[in-house]
Amino acid sequence: MIILENILMALQSLKTNPLRSVLTLTGIAVGIGAVLYVVILGNITQQRINDRLESLGSNVLLIRPGYSHMRGVRTAQNVINLKWDEAKEIKTTSDVIIAAVPRYTGQGVAEFKDQNWSTRVTGTTPEYETVNNDHPIEGRFFSEDELNRRARVCLLGATVHEKLFGNHSPIGESIIINSKRFTVIGLLGAKGESWHNPDDVVFVPLTTAQERLYGVDYLSSILAQMRSADDYDESLFDIETILRRNHRLRSDDENDFRVRRQDLFLSAVQETNQEIANFIIIIALVSLIVGGIGIANVMLVTVTERTREIGLRRAIGAKKFHILTQFLVEAVILGIIGGILGTVGCMGFNYFFTGNGLSIPLNWVGYSFIICSGIGSIAGLYPAFQAANKNVIDALRYE
Amino acid sequence: MLIKMNNVFKTYVLGEVKVPALHAISLNLEDNEYVAIMGPSGSGKSTLMNIMGCLDTPTTGTYYLGRKDVSSLNDNQLSDIRNTKIGFVFQTFNLLPRSSALRNVELPLIYSGMPSLKRKQLAMDVLERVGLNDRMMHKSNELSGGERQRVAIARALVNKPSLILADEPTGNLDSKTGEEIIEIMQRLHEHGNTIILVTHEEYIAKQTKRIIRLRDGVIESDEKKI
Ligand SMILES: Nc1ncnc2c1ncn2[C@@H]1O[C@H](COP(=O)(O)OP(=O)(O)O)[C@@H](O)[C@H]1O
Ligand SMILES: [Mg+2]
Repeated sequence: MIILENILMALQSLKTNPLRSVLTLTGIAVGIGAVLYVVILGNITQQRINDRLESLGSNVLLIRPGYSHMRGVRTAQNVINLKWDEAKEIKTTSDVIIAAVPRYTGQGVAEFKDQNWSTRVTGTTPEYETVNNDHPIEGRFFSEDELNRRARVCLLGATVHEKLFGNHSPIGESIIINSKRFTVIGLLGAKGESWHNPDDVVFVPLTTAQERLYGVDYLSSILAQMRSADDYDESLFDIETILRRNHRLRSDDENDFRVRRQDLFLSAVQETNQEIANFIIIIALVSLIVGGIGIANVMLVTVTERTREIGLRRAIGAKKFHILTQFLVEAVILGIIGGILGTVGCMGFNYFFTGNGLSIPLNWVGYSFIICSGIGSIAGLYPAFQAANKNVIDALRYE
Repeated sequence: MLIKMNNVFKTYVLGEVKVPALHAISLNLEDNEYVAIMGPSGSGKSTLMNIMGCLDTPTTGTYYLGRKDVSSLNDNQLSDIRNTKIGFVFQTFNLLPRSSALRNVELPLIYSGMPSLKRKQLAMDVLERVGLNDRMMHKSNELSGGERQRVAIARALVNKPSLILADEPTGNLDSKTGEEIIEIMQRLHEHGNTIILVTHEEYIAKQTKRIIRLRDGVIESDEKKI
């Protein structure tokens, strides 16, 4: 009951000095705005990383050629000793690796009518579709049969599709890749920007790429899918055992291939973002402290200015507790208004730079509410005690 | 017996110096008395009023208000007494300037925890009694001095106090407005209120039923009219 009255009184007294109140609140507003912005930033980053992990397929290891070593000295990049048979062997031999997708990627020029586009051509097997979770949005992936027949069929990445066909459906059309005629059987969905454009690609059967287009018998990489992320050590052991034996490496030779977890790159991105976030958090903390001091200061001024009012209230029956809560509530309300300004400011800032509106998670709106009230009550505590402990008569006589 | 003061001393301590403000005051007061306190400036009138109004406590001596020994009460209990038994009217009005007349009059009832609706009704009734029916929603800084003091009287009345204390209520008013205020006091007395007022004006004091004169913290004379 009395709290409600206190809130009304507080709002009224803030109204009487709006400019001073607003100036006081800048610190809190900036602090809360920064905290929320970090949250938004973190959420966006996490969302991107999750999307990316999703599109990579979970638990995927990337095996790529490494360097040869002669008596411990690195010689040249060895690009030709990773073979399809090895991919098959890794999959069948290891208990923890449930799929091993071979890939050969080369440069190519794709032509359709008078359009042509220079792009990457990746030969792979039908397993690629499920392991990479990359399903055609139109048409289909190629089959085992087409793989065995070295069929001249292809799937287009979104960028290639757009460059050659614009908005038209490419399914069933025939295009030229490196002077050879291919039938388009599928179209892959856009995955968006990344460190390289994952949509600027044409997929063909591995056999077609190796034998018809590029005349090679080796691979650019193997994607190995683990049963779960916990199987990393065992998977690595299996891969190393098989590849080292096949490549006839002696026990003191270093690996001539590299195995990388796909999520490592992402965690690097995450770390950078974390550093930015930490920096903003420090700014936020400083602003919040400054804001708290600002509130404490303005409350001290208010308490002095309103000494007679305090005396009067006490004279007509207010207890110390009433005066204490009145000024405490006022400080908390200052804090909360600061928080609201910060939230709105942050949303505006975010809208201005990213163009999307309400992306502050509701629970964080709640947290910032709690933070602001907390700062307000801490900042208001000392001034409120001062107010409550004023001598009634002196306060009434105060000029 | 409403007030029973026995051998009350009040001494203010200002650093090293002791300022005696009241000296061996003994005083009884019945319900429905109408008293003027007079005396030169600095004679202890306000100090006596403050003690009677439970804003302050005697340095030594006893003060009974009703059956309560005020010197034994703690701060919260004193607040309660001020809230329910005392109505103050100050020389400088002491209204909340940006609040409406109604809101100012409601204030004591807020602290006694009365529900909003009942409180508003009571406050409006009292404002009507002091003749401010058409000024209730005016902010107090939009009112004239006389109107302000009437709001202050309404505020002092709203909790139906046993004792109304007015410390130089006409001190900041011109004589005509002052007389209006004294008329209201007179009427309140006729309706059964107990009133003590401090004044410098003999003609005001003459309208009361009892005049207590103070000098240097001592009761110089205490005359009752019969
Ligand atoms: N809070 C105080 N601190 C110190 N001295 C005070 C205080 N209040 C009053 N006095 C002193 O006590 C004496 C009586 O003051 P007061 O009761 O205000 O007189 P009056 O109201 O009759 O003018 C004066 O000498 C005054 O200076
Ligand atoms: Mg005085």
